[in-house]
Amino acid sequence: MEQTFSEVISSIPWGIVAPLLVIQAILLIVALVDWFRIERTNGPKWVWLIIILFFNILGPILYFLIGRRNNG
Amino acid sequence: MQWMTLFQKETLENWRNFKWLWVPITFILLAALDPVTTHYLPVILEKSGELPEGATFDLPTPTPPEAFLLSFGQLNLLGVAVVLLMTMGIIASERKSGVTELILVKPVRYTAYITAKWASTLVLILVSLFLGLLTSWYYVNILYGDLAFTIMLGSFFLYSVWMTFVLTISIFMNVFFKTPGLVGFLSIALIILINSLNGLVSRFIDWYPSQINTYIRTYVINGTTNGDLLLTIIITLLLIIVMLISSVLVFRKKELAA
Amino acid sequence: MSFIHVQHLNKQFDGTAVIEDVSFQLEKGMCVSLLGPNGAGKTTTLRILSGLMKPTSGIITFEGKSNKEDIRSWIGYLPQYPVFHNWMSGREFLIYVARLAYLSKKEAASRADQLLQKVGLHDAKNRRIGKYSGGMKQRLGIAQAMIHRPKLIMLDEPVSSLDPNGRREVLNLIDELKKETTILFSTHILSDAEEVSDRLLLLHNGTLHHSGTIEELQATQAVNRIILRFDSQPERYIEQLDSLPEVIHIEQNREALYIEANKIEAARSAILHQAAQYQWPLTSFEIGRLSLEELFMKVVNK
Repeated sequence: MEQTFSEVISSIPWGIVAPLLVIQAILLIVALVDWFRIERTNGPKWVWLIIILFFNILGPILYFLIGRRNNG
Repeated sequence: MQWMTLFQKETLENWRNFKWLWVPITFILLAALDPVTTHYLPVILEKSGELPEGATFDLPTPTPPEAFLLSFGQLNLLGVAVVLLMTMGIIASERKSGVTELILVKPVRYTAYITAKWASTLVLILVSLFLGLLTSWYYVNILYGDLAFTIMLGSFFLYSVWMTFVLTISIFMNVFFKTPGLVGFLSIALIILINSLNGLVSRFIDWYPSQINTYIRTYVINGTTNGDLLLTIIITLLLIIVMLISSVLVFRKKELAA
Repeated sequence: MSFIHVQHLNKQFDGTAVIEDVSFQLEKGMCVSLLGPNGAGKTTTLRILSGLMKPTSGIITFEGKSNKEDIRSWIGYLPQYPVFHNWMSGREFLIYVARLAYLSKKEAASRADQLLQKVGLHDAKNRRIGKYSGGMKQRLGIAQAMIHRPKLIMLDEPVSSLDPNGRREVLNLIDELKKETTILFSTHILSDAEEVSDRLLLLHNGTLHHSGTIEELQATQAVNRIILRFDSQPERYIEQLDSLPEVIHIEQNREALYIEANKIEAARSAILHQAAQYQWPLTSFEIGRLSLEELFMKVVNK
């Protein structure tokens, strides 16, 4: 019995998981907004953009914890 | 009142730098992800056809309490790390940057300065922790079965004491050193040390602060607590008070200029 | 009755003395400059007075209160490189520090607005401090030091990091503040000290070399200067002048001779007598005083 990717996707009840995805998206957006507004970060600014965008959940959190300058 | 001025300033700062958004979200994700993914993992593995034909998936399904305890596993590791990294510069970076030279030449009481920072961060952490555990509890109920709301509430209160202890360690370290990175490193090292001594120490005493986590496990699974839990909580709260008082005393003696 | 009394102040860092046996008094309403080259101990002195540092030994009394008590309500302090909460607006910051100094909510707001007007930041009051220029930050720094109407305000090198415009603004501001409060400010620039201060504290290598007015400083040197200008060839008269007992030192600069002399009255009549007798081709005779710069070098190199 061959299963397709779409069946795997459809087997997840999105109604239940959606709230988690929404707040994850909020986290990403907030990090991006802050990254955009901030003048300087610890380390090169563009590196933090990559971290925020490509490391799911952990990226934005790391940005807020380490990347953001306190007095920015 | 001066204390409220300091507290409000910290709270305003935590709004402006988005802490009041990302910290609760982080705690919600940390607490909810494990129970949710653990539930869907067998489904995903089975459907994606990565198992050999005919093999059945025989992971025992966690009971609701076990699923709920998964959240504490994450919080103990990443939650604690987030708290320590987030607060590693709470006083240290203000001293390092030199803002304290403007603030502390005003007639600011050192007790107020430190406790206002402590309290405003504590409120943020505890609200985030509550939202995280509430989300986890919600998913456990949907995906695994009933878990009493009082169990969630009880474990939240117990874990609050541990989180307060963690935060206070960070504040305490902040008073001694001006480099946030060093403060973070030492606080993390101290927490790891405290946790790793747990096994050894708990053979002799029943009121060691890290044992709160063991008590939470018993409480969530059996719904009961034993007598030593109260003593552990009292001892931990006493340690918190002692650390806060010594932070103020040490800070008062420090030279505040570079 | 002196307002601030500093006695035998010493400060050591890891065994090295930065301030050695400094004693002085400040009187109410004075504008005093703490003058000295970089590394003289000016910042350390101000930090000790503000309570940010503790002296190794010595006593500071503030209207009779000793530095063991909390004197922070009476003083305003602006560090050399003030750092603010950059995420706040100028107005928010002033209200915040005003509240910390126990002003009521209403007072804090009105005092903040009043000072923003005074230091010329009214238009920028709702802007984030992070966006302020160096001169604006320095002016905000003066405003925060003044916010609780302190009896003494201390400014650490308030103009040295500013461009000429900013410098002029801040010096004018200090000139105006003199009317309201006692000011102690440090500088390594003599002309700033000369321009705004009534008194000098001359600090060098951690010791105080002079405390008083500029005139008093000149008097302590007991050296005065006579400037003679000639039509031509002033060098021809150097030897003759040198033989006078009152003359200490002669320097030539083009057609002029700069003569340092003690007993100015005697020197004047002796020189004029010679000039008349030998018909010197004088174009001018001037009695001058040592400039602050020269005085400073004299005191410091003693």
